[in-house]
Amino acid sequence: MTLAAMPRWLRSGRVLIGLLILLFVVTCALFAPYLAPNDPNEQNLIATLLPPAWADGGDPAFPLGTDSLGRCVLSQLIYGARLALTVALIASFGAMIIGAVLAHVAGYFGGWVDWLIGRIVDIWLSFPPVILSLILMVGLGTGVQNVILAIVLVDWTRFCRVLRSEVIVVTRRDYVAAARLLGFSHWRTVTREIAPATFPLLITLLSLEMGVAVVVEAILSFVGMSVGADIPAWGQMVADARQNIYQAPWNLICPILAIFITVFGFNVLGDGLRRTLDPRLSQTERG
Amino acid sequence: MFATIAKLLARRILVSIPILLLVSMLLFMILRVLPVDPAAMSLPPNATIEEIEAKRVEMGLTLPLPQQYAIWLSQVAHGDFGTSIQLRTSVTRLIGQTLPATIELAVLAMAIASALGIAGGLLLFYLRGTRSETVLDVGSIALLSLPEFLWGLFLILLFGVWFEFLPFTGVLSAGYQKPDITGFLLVDSLITGQFATFWNAVQHLILPAFALGVSFSPPIMRVLRSSLLDVYQDDYIHQARLRGLSERRILIGHALKNAILPTLSLMGVQFGFLFGGTLLIEIIYSYPGMGNLMVDAIRNTDLPIIQAVGLTYCVVVLVISILVDSLYLILNPKLRTR
Amino acid sequence: MALLAANNLSVALTRGGSAFPAISDLSFQLEPGKILGLVGESGAGKSMIGRTIAQLLPSGFSVTGGTLDFAGEDLVTMAPEKRRRLLGRDIAFIPQEPLSALNPVLTIGQQMREHLARIGKTEPARWREHALAMFAAVHLPHGAELLDKYPHQLSGGMCQRVLIAMAFASRPRLLVADEPTTALDVTIQARIVKLIEEMRQHEDTAVVFITHDLRLAAQICDQVLVLYAGRPAEYGPARDVFARPAHPYSRCLQLASPGMGSERRGLFILPERMPGLQAIKTLTGCRFADRCPNVVAQCRTSEPPLAKVDGERVAACIRPEATAAIEPPPAAAHAKVTGETVLEASGVSKDFVTRRRLFRAPATFRAVDKADFVLRENEFVGIVGESGSGKSTLARLVVGLESPSQGRLTLLGRDVTANRTSERAFRREHLQIVFQDPQSALNPRRRVAGIVTQAMEAAGGGTGTERLERARALLDEIGLAPETALRYPSQLSGGQKQRVNIARALCALPRVLVADEIVSGLDVSVQAQLLDLLLRLRQERGFSMLFISHDLSVVRYLCDRVLVMYRGEIVESGPTETVFAAPSHAYTRALLASVPPDDADAAWNRDDGGDLALVERA
Repeated sequence: MTLAAMPRWLRSGRVLIGLLILLFVVTCALFAPYLAPNDPNEQNLIATLLPPAWADGGDPAFPLGTDSLGRCVLSQLIYGARLALTVALIASFGAMIIGAVLAHVAGYFGGWVDWLIGRIVDIWLSFPPVILSLILMVGLGTGVQNVILAIVLVDWTRFCRVLRSEVIVVTRRDYVAAARLLGFSHWRTVTREIAPATFPLLITLLSLEMGVAVVVEAILSFVGMSVGADIPAWGQMVADARQNIYQAPWNLICPILAIFITVFGFNVLGDGLRRTLDPRLSQTERG
Repeated sequence: MFATIAKLLARRILVSIPILLLVSMLLFMILRVLPVDPAAMSLPPNATIEEIEAKRVEMGLTLPLPQQYAIWLSQVAHGDFGTSIQLRTSVTRLIGQTLPATIELAVLAMAIASALGIAGGLLLFYLRGTRSETVLDVGSIALLSLPEFLWGLFLILLFGVWFEFLPFTGVLSAGYQKPDITGFLLVDSLITGQFATFWNAVQHLILPAFALGVSFSPPIMRVLRSSLLDVYQDDYIHQARLRGLSERRILIGHALKNAILPTLSLMGVQFGFLFGGTLLIEIIYSYPGMGNLMVDAIRNTDLPIIQAVGLTYCVVVLVISILVDSLYLILNPKLRTR
Repeated sequence: MALLAANNLSVALTRGGSAFPAISDLSFQLEPGKILGLVGESGAGKSMIGRTIAQLLPSGFSVTGGTLDFAGEDLVTMAPEKRRRLLGRDIAFIPQEPLSALNPVLTIGQQMREHLARIGKTEPARWREHALAMFAAVHLPHGAELLDKYPHQLSGGMCQRVLIAMAFASRPRLLVADEPTTALDVTIQARIVKLIEEMRQHEDTAVVFITHDLRLAAQICDQVLVLYAGRPAEYGPARDVFARPAHPYSRCLQLASPGMGSERRGLFILPERMPGLQAIKTLTGCRFADRCPNVVAQCRTSEPPLAKVDGERVAACIRPEATAAIEPPPAAAHAKVTGETVLEASGVSKDFVTRRRLFRAPATFRAVDKADFVLRENEFVGIVGESGSGKSTLARLVVGLESPSQGRLTLLGRDVTANRTSERAFRREHLQIVFQDPQSALNPRRRVAGIVTQAMEAAGGGTGTERLERARALLDEIGLAPETALRYPSQLSGGQKQRVNIARALCALPRVLVADEIVSGLDVSVQAQLLDLLLRLRQERGFSMLFISHDLSVVRYLCDRVLVMYRGEIVESGPTETVFAAPSHAYTRALLASVPPDDADAAWNRDDGGDLALVERA
């Protein structure tokens, strides 16, 4: 395939960088058992807080050293990608579905439906997301499904707010009125005339939301409200490493970098998509 | 002008009352589905079933849920959030002790976020179309990708652990006396003239406030930049050029006044998020604010505290958004004139 | 000495290493106190000249040759700081869109004050007096109150007056007015033009007047320069150019716009469209050759130079003597209004809620007030009126996008007022609308074939091939090539888009068409093509049409009967010729008076309609 034949969005440098980073993280997650040098949960109490392999006192068996319980940091990082990506993918799709459906209903029909959905979004917005997800986790209890559910319940408003105003803009176009006058049903009008126009924005928001979901999962596991201790999670690693910040700063830096790189991948991808797909550049920024 | 603003504001405040009611209802419902029994928790472990049952009746837990909510609500309306199960003190007092510290942190962080955001936005706009803009732009995406709690930890590593020139736990070093008048440490130390205490408190605040501020500045930067780009497409900018105004005057006198409006409405939402972000920063910096109170309460399933603190967060967020909205009203004539 | 003089001025777009000429070899002289009209259709480069005077060209464009002298100094090579000092002081500009040319967050007073402070003609402390004096000069009432208003609180006409006041505050030597009336209502247009003339006379200012309207230019300008594809086609005294055009393009432009004169004539149809920047670069001969009715082989060999025709007039044509022979086709006769009634409105009113009030009936605004009219078989009825007169609301009521608050709508004998599901299906089958703006009316993500056969899709019928067949047939009928079916709207020109827009409405074979301003915003040559298309389609397949427009000459050409709307009411109706020849309502008279006459020598009697108080509404 020549460069010119590729779709425009694939020619953007940012999209490519984002996709490469995410491909790397996805590979780690999918092939974790083959890539990880050790069992991430295996404790090695005689080799705790080892520095990385290249530093003084490092052990080649533990390339990025060990934590306070002697677990292999690299293996935990690789396995941690599984949880982060699972949550990111499922939760952001869930939030997207709820948010997008409500946004289209509100923006297309207007009137009291729009008013009602608008007020629900207002209520949600008066909760800071961190607080709401913590309270939901208290109510739901820990576990992967509940983390996902909490993120979906908190973040659907991100989609709803931004998409609703876009739906209103598109709905006001004359071609929507024309389709209705030619006899299109509401369902057909929304799916054939409106949704294709909001799709680019939707994809961009989805990419950005995946980054947000990774962060929220990390925050929840950081405060110990995410999954059990037996599932490696980057936020959990950060929390553990905080106890030994002086002896083993490396333990802290590794998961921070892992979170940062993954989120950066989603954000750069989202920004690239926004630049190539969104005719009005400023739109998504206001998400 | 002020009469219209006051009228619009009054309406805005009226609208937030039902929102607050629904928020409190939501909070109450979420926490009531918990599989824990506050009555059992507030009694010693060796309490008998009968004692627990009696306690349940005493605490009103046997009443229907709507009635429980109504009782709780009427207490809240009188400023009574109940008694902490774990700490056995008035929740209202606990919040009174911690809220000022959290507000102090949040206000400083908002100032930092606004300053960085506006300066960065202007810089990004100024460099539009150049190679450095691409670098800075990707840089701002990178900034966007580091959430506040990671910033917090990162700054501790950098300035607390490696360079060791700023403190990163608590609000005051050992040996300083905390003046207590309004609860706001910076204010109190200034009005009592304890400048050493003030300076020490500032040092303690720098890292957490900066971590919080810097992590919320990139969206502001990016929206200001894109709003400026939008505004520069408008006819009145072209007309101002045709009138011979200097570029500097056009930016300051004409473009910025319009571009700040979308930026401001984003800041309203962002500052709500930022206020929630104080929770994580407080944990990381062992800062004695509402966030730590909340997390301790969650660990101990101390329902009265969780409910009260959750509601307090929402109230503050609503107040922030009303304040930002009124600023928006002052700056945007379209909303207050017809 | 000329105040503004262009000598072989050329402007080009540089992209990918090659230059595309946007303006070529432009020369003109403008004396103080005179008005030069720059006339041409969109893409002719007329606005580019305005931007060149300020040296604020769009990115990529630059002056590639020649000079543009202002009072003896070349604006192109002048130091930017020096040029900037001239702008707003010696050279003033009046924009096309007055509403968006004022900063929305600053009061009129703040903007006036800033401008007066910069030009430095008055002491800063006395800016108010100066501003009020200027407002009085441009006939703006209540100047003192105006200072505290924001632009959105004023009408377009008032904003334009404010901008004219600003422009003349510095007593400029040169004024550039870029289509200053296009965005305004016709009655206001005439008065704004009058005001510009008045101010010019008072201050002895030279004016560059950019317009697409040759008739208007002939009325107010001393000199006219007709541009085609970036090149001057004809340049000379305004009255000569209009009375005896020397270049075929000037002649065609004149004949393509429907006249208001006593005799109704046909429209001259120019084929195709003006070459764009890309095409101009590869053209060898005359740029107009492909569309010219007088073209000969020699036209295509080399670009004809501007040559003297008579007196002070020059034209870029090798056979200017043949131009006068170009004649319009005979006019299509108006239909006889005898057929059965297809659409009837009796006492139709529409109220919009402007503000909901607690415990009281909501405040309402009556957009349409007791409208009565009938539309007969094969009849074209025009609705004219200015913005806010309720004409578009009436159209929306007829097609069912809004429901009437009162009154009755009957379509083919059936009451469709209530707009229930069954009525909606009936209405859809027999009545369709063509929207004003094809940009917004065509889904950019659908191919043309999909758009024009949407009615089949809605009915749930038609395979891909069936629909493509139908689309090709429809496109053929409206005069587009069959391969257009697979294009996207963004690949079409404005005129082509509007044809697709019409084809979609015709797909379901409706008996009534409602057309809302479907030719406004289009160039006259494209407008002529569309008007003739509508007349031809009526002859071929037969349908009735409600044609909403603000342009009287178009309505006169196309419609058999006319309804005049003013503030929600139909104030006059009747056969087009009767209404235009002997208007009975004061508003109709004002409307007619605001159109410049066909004959450049005839006096343009622009009284404000006598007894009717035409207050510009805020």
